[in-house]
Amino acid sequence: MTAVTTYSRKRRFARTLRRLTRKIPSLIGLVIAVLFYGWSLVEGILQLIAKYFFYPPYVTPKLAWALLPYDPFEPSFQSTLSPPSFIHLMGTDELGRDIFSRVLYAAPTDAAISIVVVLFGVLIGGLLGLPAGYFGKGVEEVNMRFTDLFLAFPALILALVIEATLGRAVIFAIVALIVVWWPSYARLFRGEMLRIKNQKFIDAALLSGLSDTAIISRHALRASLNTILSYATIDLGNVILVYSILSFLGLGAPPPYPEWGSMVSSGLGYLQEAWWYSFLPGAVITGVVIGFALLGDGIRDILAGEQ
Amino acid sequence: MGLLGYTVRRAFNSVLLIVGTVILTFVLTHIVAPNPAHVWAGPHASATVIQGVIKRYHLDAPWYVQLYYYLIDTFTLDFGVSPYFGQPVSTLIETFYPRTLELDFLAMSLTIVIGVFTGAFAAAHQDRIGDHAVRGFYLLTWSIPPFLVAIILQYFLAYKWILPPGQMADPALALPKPITGLITVDALIEGNWVFFYSSLVHLILPVIALALISFGIITRIMRSSMLDVLKTDYVRTAIMKGVGNRRAVYLHALKNSLIPVITVIALTFAYTIAGSVVIEDIFSYTGMGYLITQSLENFDYPTLIASTIVITISVVVINLVADILYAIVDPRVRLGGGQS
Repeated sequence: MTAVTTYSRKRRFARTLRRLTRKIPSLIGLVIAVLFYGWSLVEGILQLIAKYFFYPPYVTPKLAWALLPYDPFEPSFQSTLSPPSFIHLMGTDELGRDIFSRVLYAAPTDAAISIVVVLFGVLIGGLLGLPAGYFGKGVEEVNMRFTDLFLAFPALILALVIEATLGRAVIFAIVALIVVWWPSYARLFRGEMLRIKNQKFIDAALLSGLSDTAIISRHALRASLNTILSYATIDLGNVILVYSILSFLGLGAPPPYPEWGSMVSSGLGYLQEAWWYSFLPGAVITGVVIGFALLGDGIRDILAGEQ
Repeated sequence: MGLLGYTVRRAFNSVLLIVGTVILTFVLTHIVAPNPAHVWAGPHASATVIQGVIKRYHLDAPWYVQLYYYLIDTFTLDFGVSPYFGQPVSTLIETFYPRTLELDFLAMSLTIVIGVFTGAFAAAHQDRIGDHAVRGFYLLTWSIPPFLVAIILQYFLAYKWILPPGQMADPALALPKPITGLITVDALIEGNWVFFYSSLVHLILPVIALALISFGIITRIMRSSMLDVLKTDYVRTAIMKGVGNRRAVYLHALKNSLIPVITVIALTFAYTIAGSVVIEDIFSYTGMGYLITQSLENFDYPTLIASTIVITISVVVINLVADILYAIVDPRVRLGGGQS
């Protein structure tokens, strides 16, 4: 790669970012996404350090909530179910734990899950979809039939069954989400490949004697990523949404650990006297998902303009 | 290719797909599962129960023998006995599925009505405030978790207002005799007006909740197809002839832009049925969603798998019906060789 292309590529990233800040919806999306991942990164690193470096099981690793206003696990029976105020921004739950702290503590899990699931979805989808579109015929038939098989199930229900089979743990929730997520990417990649296949630069690559693998992995992949990128951004939010449903149904992290979906479900029993318990964690989920949807739309508008 | 040929080919594909999905559940439950006997019997099963399960599902036989029995069982609708409910799973599904279908079909109708009109409205007001408002609305309902929609409705409409917060009908009333299995229809056939009214009132909130979480997809399709149709000559001719603008949009253009909506109807069905798992749980509506959440909570694996298979088969069948409908309405599909 020459210096000029490196330069223009760097510029392109900066330019895309700058253009995202110009429209209010995509700016809101960008801010939400940056806040969410920024916070999750910091808090996630603290949690990992607390877990792996100070691990006597009888001592609570305090480092994990050094930045939070309250200890997310510490019950306080003087202030059970107290409404949102400046002392407790999102109120407290039935054990007097600060809901805002618990919401913040749960963020890194969701951030990690969204990235891992979307990455694997894109990876598997690309591996099956790109060759399907490029070679057509037998390869397409086999790969897309296989994809259709997974698409035939309602995604949520397939995820439930997979997790019920493998066991209830965050890692299996991730596996379940990946299994239901890759098929849509396989379809997308195939469609993109069909569009790209007949363009001149692929002909040029063929004529210059590149192998099929090289054409797919070097040229077609890069060209299709434009479309995939905006979908993947929107999907980061969708994964969080579906994961929150799994966790709402009790398939997420086990009880003492806070999780957005499970907080909503445990608040259900107190809905009439403490609306904030269910609503506010639910509102946080909604906010994050909307943020990614806005950002994804913004990216699509910009990249579509460049093509 | 004629309509008949197209139908036969699509039907054949659907049968293959159904067999494929059943095999996929087999792979999941008998091969991928870390310990199939424990999965089927539940985590706290005693040794004798596990022995029984191994015998029942032939888990000690080679995989192809297991697959053979699994396929036979599935296609004769013999899903075994539910360890939690203590009834044959097929009986359970027979009672619970019609209730969910009732809920889902009402929800789908509402979804389609909302979706079609918001989509048409957005297209008619393209890039103006109406368009943005519709977009904002479906972005919100699209991003909001289904359980939150249900909770909001329950909190504001049921606790603060008059609608019943949950269950299928007033629990003091006796259920009507199962004739069709759809309980409102049964009550109607029986002439049981009290029950009929009660169950209808109880349906309102879950139906609205389901429609709210799934109408966005129809709005999107409808808006883009409406935009295409509005550009066509016949709509312009209609407006030039002096047909009112509103009439041209909501009558002349609307009819033709409905065609692509048919393709997503099956998708909406899959959506509402997945959504009803959560919605039924919150509204304590005893349908498939209740069955699924109960079997999840109580490690009732046979019920869970059977529900999944039955739901998936119905999704495939509805897909098939939608495709055939589409081919009838729009002959270009069949001539195009049926590319998906």
